[in-house]
This record gives sequence, C-alpha cells and structure tokens, in this order.
Amino acid sequence: MQTYDAHSLPENDNVNSYAFSIALNGRWFVSKGAMIAYYGNVSFDAVTTWASRDAHIAGKFSSPIYIQDWVVAEGHGKVIVGDRGFDLQSFDLEDGNLTIRASNLVGFETGLELKQSIVPGFVTLIGTGKFLASSNGPVIFAEPPFRADPDALLGWADCPAPSHHYDAQWMSASLGSMLQGMFGRESGEERQFDFTGSGTILIQSTEVLREDPALMRIMEQQTALLSPQQAGLLGQRLVARSQQA
Amino acid sequence: MVTLTADRRVLHADLAGETIRAASGSMVAYTGTVDFKHAGMGGGGGFKAALKQKVSGESIKLMECTGSGRVTFAQDALDVTVIDLANDTLAVESELVLAVTAGLTLDVKFAGLQGMTSGQGLATTTLSGTGQVAVMSDGPLIALAVQPGGPLVVDPDAFVASTGNLTMNLVSGVSWKSLVGEGSGEPFSLRFEGSGTVFIQPAER
Repeated sequence: MQTYDAHSLPENDNVNSYAFSIALNGRWFVSKGAMIAYYGNVSFDAVTTWASRDAHIAGKFSSPIYIQDWVVAEGHGKVIVGDRGFDLQSFDLEDGNLTIRASNLVGFETGLELKQSIVPGFVTLIGTGKFLASSNGPVIFAEPPFRADPDALLGWADCPAPSHHYDAQWMSASLGSMLQGMFGRESGEERQFDFTGSGTILIQSTEVLREDPALMRIMEQQTALLSPQQAGLLGQRLVARSQQA
Repeated sequence: MVTLTADRRVLHADLAGETIRAASGSMVAYTGTVDFKHAGMGGGGGFKAALKQKVSGESIKLMECTGSGRVTFAQDALDVTVIDLANDTLAVESELVLAVTAGLTLDVKFAGLQGMTSGQGLATTTLSGTGQVAVMSDGPLIALAVQPGGPLVVDPDAFVASTGNLTMNLVSGVSWKSLVGEGSGEPFSLRFEGSGTVFIQPAER
C-alpha cells in the first residue's frame, strides 16, 4: 500500500475513486463534513462569517438555504475530501454553467458562483473553475433529447432546465383519481425529467438518494405562494400522510 | 507461517497448523480442517485486557481459528487491508479489526478524550509485536505519513488506525461542522504530530 505525505498526495486529483486531494492555495468552498484529513495551514470557517470578512467571497455563495451547510477552506496545504464512500469526480467549468443536485456537490473553487436552481434540490454553478461532485457509482453522460429518472439525475450543463414528463398511459389511467385530488399515486417510473435543446446531462448509476436537509426549507419557502386556505389544506394533507407512514 | 491476503472486500488466511484470531462471525468460507472457537476474555488478550475493555467500553469479539487450510473472512462488505507490523504498535478502532496473527498482543490503551468525538470509548485497541493485522474500512484505506514538522489533521469519523511514534491532540475550534445550523455536533478533529503513519477511510462512520 502506498503511503502518501503532503508532497506525494495528488495535486487536485483523486487519491482513489472515493477520495480527492485538493492542492489548496487560496480558498475553496467545501461542503460541511466533507474534509476527512489535511496537511498544512488550513482554516475552515462558515460562509456566513465571510460576509463581514470578505463580502466578495460570501457574495459568490448566493443561496441562503444552503449557506449553513458550507464552509470556506482557506490556506495552503493538501485537503483530502470524501463523501460517505461515494464516488468522487472533479469537473472543470470554463465560463460555463452547470446545475447539480445540491447534496452531491462536495466542493468548488471560488472562481465559480453558486446560485439556487429553479428546480428544487438543485444548485447552479456559473463561471470558471473546478468543482467536485459525488455520485452513487460512476457518472454517465448523455445528450438531449433525453428523459431521466428524477432520482438518478445528477445534473445538467448548457441545456435548458428540464420539464416534467408524465407517462401517457399513467395519465389517462389515473385521471379519475386526480380529479378527486388524489395525487401521489406514483409507482415509480411514471414521472421523468424531459431534456431538450443541446447540452450534457449527468446521470448516476443508482437511485439511492440522500436526504437533503435544505429541501424542506425550499418547499416551505415555496408555500408562500399559496393562499391561507390552500396552505391549511396542504397542511391537513401532509399531516394525513405522515400519519399513514 | 500464516499468510493473510486481502482481496478487496475479503480476507484469505492460509493456515498450516497455526492459530489466528478473527472477528466473531466473520468467516464466510473455508477449505481444509479448521476449528473455530471463542477466543475468551478480552479477545484473547487475557483478564487485564478484558477488564480494561469493560471499563472503557471498547469491545472486541474475536474467535480463534486453528488448523490447516484456507479460511475466507468478510464483514459488512467493508474493504480489507492487511498491515504488516515488525516490532511495532498499531492503534486501531476495535470494531474495524478483522483478523490478527499470533505474534501480536492485544491491549486497550487509554488515550484521553480522542474516542469521545466518534462515540467510541475513551480508549483505543492496540496491537503490538510482529505479525499481520487485517483492518476493515468503508472504502479503500488511505495511508498518510506524519513527519516532524508536518502534522496531519484528521476527521475523527474517518480515522481508522495509526502506527509509529505519534502524539494525538484534539483540536477544537475547527468549525466546519458545528458552527451553525444543522451541524452534527462534532466540533473536534484529531491532530497527529511526530513520525508515523495514519490510516483513514474515505467515508465517515
């Protein structure tokens, strides 16, 4: 077995399929808890504290919902990151944009700017720089026109945000129950994300999902669109659902 | 001489009349004539080790495998790595020990608060002497050297084992997890200084 030290660790490359060595010389945004070891002089501070230290850095992280799950790693050294034993890949963006499932984004250079995607649970990176993404199994690349299982979708680049596609047979079969307001009768594969235009779609090879703590905050925020009566009705349905589970 | 061979997520032990100790229930297959029996108190470490384990909460359940043939061990589909020790001491999380050859002595070292952060005990299992130990890890093990003047900081949840002449300190105030919001309440990291090797896994327990 090879023993690494601060010099022999890879420079911005994978140590193995599940660990990545960042050659830190400046600043990186890192997901909380992703750091598993480091050599050198590195400090980890919450992104929120950077608002007063360096507003330019804090401004790169434009998502109040995710900001508490992220830190800024600053200094010089080698930082090894991992994400619960998932596969880790690094990608380079050059003056581009890429949208990725927020719980699969592990780190990114400060040359990139993070914004919340319109699609819940996803964030968009804009600019130039390197970012790290974790996936369940190796990443598969595809091109539109393409339909993806929402659970297996890791992200997409350069193409328009997807629209929902519902299986036609399922639509007609369940129209009756939908009229009665009975949503949620999905058996798993009726709903897909439909991609059009040109670009690249990233898929992971299994559908095991991780709970994203921010997802609930997003949903809650969106209920502001509802009238008080609608919100009450939704509340009753959610209570009923949690009691059934 | 027993030979331990790690093959990704399984361990092969080729026995020729010797005895090795392995995690109870980890045998998945064997050929030849091999007897399996409970290793006794303290994982075969004797009464003193058993007492320390009782006190420290560091528990290890081992069985003795004696005979000749090839025994295959595995547990929870964890990756297996064989570490050779030559008159050396390995400190390791007890639940990550898969097998130990006869030349190694098992003990419990009280090492301050280091275990507290990962919910282990207040102590770490140590193996000293000359022989082989097979450790398990979630994902392939990564060996990181520590040299004088080049300290290493490790997330306690990723720590698996260490050898050599190392001092370990808890570093608090590193705030990547605990500072705000839904942090899992783990404000500590482990800082290793001296000279030796630290083994980590690419996942958090």
